[in-house]
Amino acid sequence: MSAEVEKFIIEALENMNYDVSEVTGDTPLGPAGLDLESLSVAEIAIQVEDTYGVKFEEDEMESVALLTVSGLVKEIVDRAAAAAAAR
Amino acid sequence: MSVSHPAAVITGLGTFTPLGRGAADTFDALCHGKSGLRRPPAGHLLDGTVGSAGIAPDIEASEVLPPSEGRLVDRFALMALAAADDALADAGLVVGRDADPERVAVVVSSGAGGLTTYEAQAHDRVSRGRTAVSPYLLPGMLPNMAAARIAIKHGIRGWSSAVSTACAAGAHAVAEAARLIRYGEADVVVCGGAEAPLNPTSALAFDHARALAGGWDDDPEAASRPFDRRRNGFVLAEGAGVLVVERADHADARGAAGYADLLGWGASTDAFKPTAPRPGGEGAAQAMRGALRTGGLTPDEVGYINAHGTATKLGDVAETRAVRAVFGDRSPAVSSTKSMTGHLLGGSGAVEAAVCALAVSRGTLPPTHNLDEVDPACDLDHVRGEARRGPVAAALSNSFAFGGHNVSLLFGTASTRTTRQREGEGT
Repeated sequence: MSAEVEKFIIEALENMNYDVSEVTGDTPLGPAGLDLESLSVAEIAIQVEDTYGVKFEEDEMESVALLTVSGLVKEIVDRAAAAAAAR
Repeated sequence: MSVSHPAAVITGLGTFTPLGRGAADTFDALCHGKSGLRRPPAGHLLDGTVGSAGIAPDIEASEVLPPSEGRLVDRFALMALAAADDALADAGLVVGRDADPERVAVVVSSGAGGLTTYEAQAHDRVSRGRTAVSPYLLPGMLPNMAAARIAIKHGIRGWSSAVSTACAAGAHAVAEAARLIRYGEADVVVCGGAEAPLNPTSALAFDHARALAGGWDDDPEAASRPFDRRRNGFVLAEGAGVLVVERADHADARGAAGYADLLGWGASTDAFKPTAPRPGGEGAAQAMRGALRTGGLTPDEVGYINAHGTATKLGDVAETRAVRAVFGDRSPAVSSTKSMTGHLLGGSGAVEAAVCALAVSRGTLPPTHNLDEVDPACDLDHVRGEARRGPVAAALSNSFAFGGHNVSLLFGTASTRTTRQREGEGT
């Protein structure tokens, strides 16, 4: 699932006009890497919620913005697994 | 007249209208009676909704914003950014290099902001569900976002605002600029207005309010006919105008040449009906008298009025009565820019302020297009057929709005040590 989620995130970034040509799993979402605006993080969160049913609350957004691409992928995969187990 | 307050001079102009990008070329087009109106082409949002519209050139977000900042930014803000970039370049002014960022203000208005983007998002929400709504919608469409984006792009850190008074919004912004300079709150004000109303919902609302011209499908350029006997409404248009207004001694200190002084402003409110003007034009007359008073001029010193002149039946008659009430038997020369651009709503007042600045600087008055037979109820000294040449010491620009907001702006010869050459028209 991880590879699929990473592809999804990178495509979302590309659709938002970010340059993803050098983006890897280690690229930080924050100032040291993609330097995403808070609204871009929010937009990705909404798309993730829509596609994978995983929700990030408002008070989590700041910590999400500090993740790397792989870190965000892991977070989504873990939460999706937890949600599936709870069903 | 003794001047006890700092003079405000216009040192830069930018317009983005159905007549193209660039204030000087637009003024030349107006003087040659070129129309920017046409039938919306196939694929345009208004194709099949209206027979004539004023459509400005295409503009991509990447032309005025960095790639990651252009997301969902509505056309009204993009056009305002283009006009502001052009106006600052025309003034030769870089904020931070030529002016203290905290002493630079930006007042750029819009009647309604990014309704086209809002309409698209609302449609997506209904068809695709709640996640179709982007968090970027608000910073892309709120009416203050033209001013905000210009401030961010150019590092403007003084006063900023956006006045939302429908068709008077652009003129209110210029009036606010005059006040900010006069009362010492800024050295430079980037002011203007922008509107992008060419979406079906907005167009149908105006049409159903019986405000739009109709029956001109065979000749879209003839649809906007201010003061003409056969006029039957305005033509909806989009665009932006931005002016750099500067304290005259600030302009002189950096060797900038002025187009014209922004001498005065007048504003009033009809307090009458939501969409109809007072039939006698009392509010409009009050605004013009206010502009003369704050500018310290008498009516006989005014050589030109850039009329609001939208070509509605009631509006043009009320404006005529207002001009008669202020000027008596001697009508200044009058023309309406909207005969060729259509009605840019919140953008109009700013574009027409730029036209007045150029008219004063070049001593040339553009005509009213399509004024084939003057309505006897609109009997004024209309400039029609061809542009009129000759010095213009002072000019008024009128803007009146749904809601009863009236603004009149007064322009005069530039007081800077150097003034713009009388290039192009009039030379």
